[in-house]
Amino acid sequence: MKKREEEVQGQVKMSLLERYLAVEIGIEFKACLYFFCILFFYSMYRLLCGSMEASILHMGEMIFLTYGMGYIQKYILDNFDEADRWGLREIGFLLLCVGIYTAVSYWGGWFDRRIPATAFYASFMTLAYICGFLVYKVKRTLDAKQLNEDLRVFQGRDGSQAPKQEHT
Amino acid sequence: MKYTIEHISQGENEVILRCHSPSAEMEQLIRFLESQNRKLIGNKDGIRTILEPSQILYVESVEGKTFAYAESEVFQMEYSLAQLGQLLGAVNFFRCSKSMILNIDKVRELRSLASNRIEATMCNGERIMISRTYASDFRKRLKGVRQQ
Repeated sequence: MKKREEEVQGQVKMSLLERYLAVEIGIEFKACLYFFCILFFYSMYRLLCGSMEASILHMGEMIFLTYGMGYIQKYILDNFDEADRWGLREIGFLLLCVGIYTAVSYWGGWFDRRIPATAFYASFMTLAYICGFLVYKVKRTLDAKQLNEDLRVFQGRDGSQAPKQEHT
Repeated sequence: MKYTIEHISQGENEVILRCHSPSAEMEQLIRFLESQNRKLIGNKDGIRTILEPSQILYVESVEGKTFAYAESEVFQMEYSLAQLGQLLGAVNFFRCSKSMILNIDKVRELRSLASNRIEATMCNGERIMISRTYASDFRKRLKGVRQQ
C-alpha cells in the first residue's frame, strides 16, 4: 500500500515537474521571439544611425525584459496575445505591455532617448503583438481543421457513426 | 491480422475471433464488442432505465455522483466514474478531464483553444472542454485510428 502511494506520489511529482517545464519552455520560447523582434528593430536603428555596433548591455536588458514580460503575460495578463478574440480587456493589456517595453527602452537609452525613434518603436511593438495574435489564431484554425479531419476519419472507422446533421 | 466476412442466410450474427493469444489489437476489438452489447442502468426521476453506451454523449462526476448525459436527458448512474470508465473502455469513449468521459462518436465539431485546450461541440450543441492535460492523448486517440 505504502509502495503504491509512493508510486502515485512519484507520478504526481513527475507530472508537476513536467507541467512546470512545459510552462517554462513556453515562456522562454515567446521571450526569444519578442527579443528577436526588438533586436531587429534595434539593429535597423543602429544601422540608420550609421553604426555597425550594438551594445551588449542593451541586448542583456532586452532579453531580461522579454523574459520578465513572458512571466507577466502568463501569470497576470492571462496570455492575452494567444486569446481567441480581442476585446477591451486584451487591448488594455496590449497597451500596458507596449507601455512597459517603451518605458524600459527610453530608460535604458536604447534609442538614445529620441522621442520619434521611441514612438516608432512603440508602434513596432504594437504591430508585433498584433502579428503574434494573428499567428496564434491562424495556427489554431489550422489545428482545428486537422482535428476535425481526424475526427471524421475516427467516426467513419466502422461505417458512418458521425452525428447526423438535422436540416429544418 | 487478416479478417474474413462470411455471409449467412439464417441464424444470429456472430463474431468469432481466432488467435494463439490475444494481441493488443484483438483486446481492443473485444472491449469494443463488449461495450456494444453492454447495457447500463441509470436513474431518472426515480425510474430505473436501461441505457446503451451509444445513447450516452458524456459522463460527468459531480459531488461524488455520476451522471450520464444523453441527447436531451440526464441519468444518475449507479457506477462511479472509474467503474464507468472500465465498462465503457472501448475505442470511442475518452477521459477528457478529471471528472468527465466523452463519447467521441457523439462529437460534432472540435475547436482548438489557447493554452492547448480543445473544445468539443456535441451533437446536441453542448460544449465540452478537453483540458490541456488530456488534449495530447485525445489527439493521439484520433490519430491512432488514422494510422491504422
